[in-house]
Amino acid sequence: MDYSNLRRQAASLKKGLFDQGHLDEQFRQVEDLQDEASPNFVEEVVVVFFKDSGRLISNLEQALEKYPRDFNRWDAYMQQLKGSCSSIGASRMKNECMSFRDNCGQRSVEGCMGSLQKLKREHAILRQKLESYFQVTLEAPPCQSWCHDRWIISINLLTDVCMFTMQLLRQVGPAGAATRPAM
Amino acid sequence: MTSSLKALLVDYMAVERMVVSSMLRNFHCEITLAKNGKEAVDMFLEGNEFDIVVCDKDMPIMTGPEAVIKIRAMGATDVKIVGVSADDNAMEAFMSAGADDFVPKPMRLEVLGPMIEEVINR
Repeated sequence: MDYSNLRRQAASLKKGLFDQGHLDEQFRQVEDLQDEASPNFVEEVVVVFFKDSGRLISNLEQALEKYPRDFNRWDAYMQQLKGSCSSIGASRMKNECMSFRDNCGQRSVEGCMGSLQKLKREHAILRQKLESYFQVTLEAPPCQSWCHDRWIISINLLTDVCMFTMQLLRQVGPAGAATRPAM
Repeated sequence: MTSSLKALLVDYMAVERMVVSSMLRNFHCEITLAKNGKEAVDMFLEGNEFDIVVCDKDMPIMTGPEAVIKIRAMGATDVKIVGVSADDNAMEAFMSAGADDFVPKPMRLEVLGPMIEEVINR
């Protein structure tokens, strides 16, 4: 399998997420927390984020219906979501949270509804892009195991070469000794 | 940096507890989690002691500043309390409640590190 190509693909997907503004520097902070003790930390955080954020968006939608014009309540839900978005670097989602809160401040129901739709769209896009990214990284093993496999292959090849050379010398030996010049 | 400090992390959102507790673990802190201000206060009422509390502002049942007031009122004046929030107006609420410091979300390693070091050096 062409791991280098998969790695390039993963890097390109990640770069796209940053270049398009879906993720910001905080995501790199989360990545820095991943280590051998928690090798899937980033993916686990992202899974929990989408679980939390999905629940909050659902709660907010219910609140919009059940508590009309209760901007304080709506704002409180969005405040929580904004915090979560900032913790993982979900930049575009965070911006839509801020837009929603601005609309709460201006007591604009229409503005809030519009912001919420945009937020849900960004939520879906980010989820899909991160799922694609993690799918590719899953197929391209971490460099440690890839390098280990390569190392094993190199040792095996060297062993084969040594054994072949020794067999060749055994076969050539007496004839080779006869043709060797005297020292 | 090794610390073995006892840290109480108070945040309603699971993802934020995950990220910040991982940061605290990075500094070798012993971490206790609470989901709201009341759980945090209960920790102190049960006799637990902490070197540092990292506390969100807006939580159900009891907010961060409310919890800070109660914790200080219990006589826990030595523990360093750091308020965190994505709310731009949260700093005043935390500081007037008795917090030592405030950090706007998101928490970052380069911000948390010096705070941990400050507590170690006390």
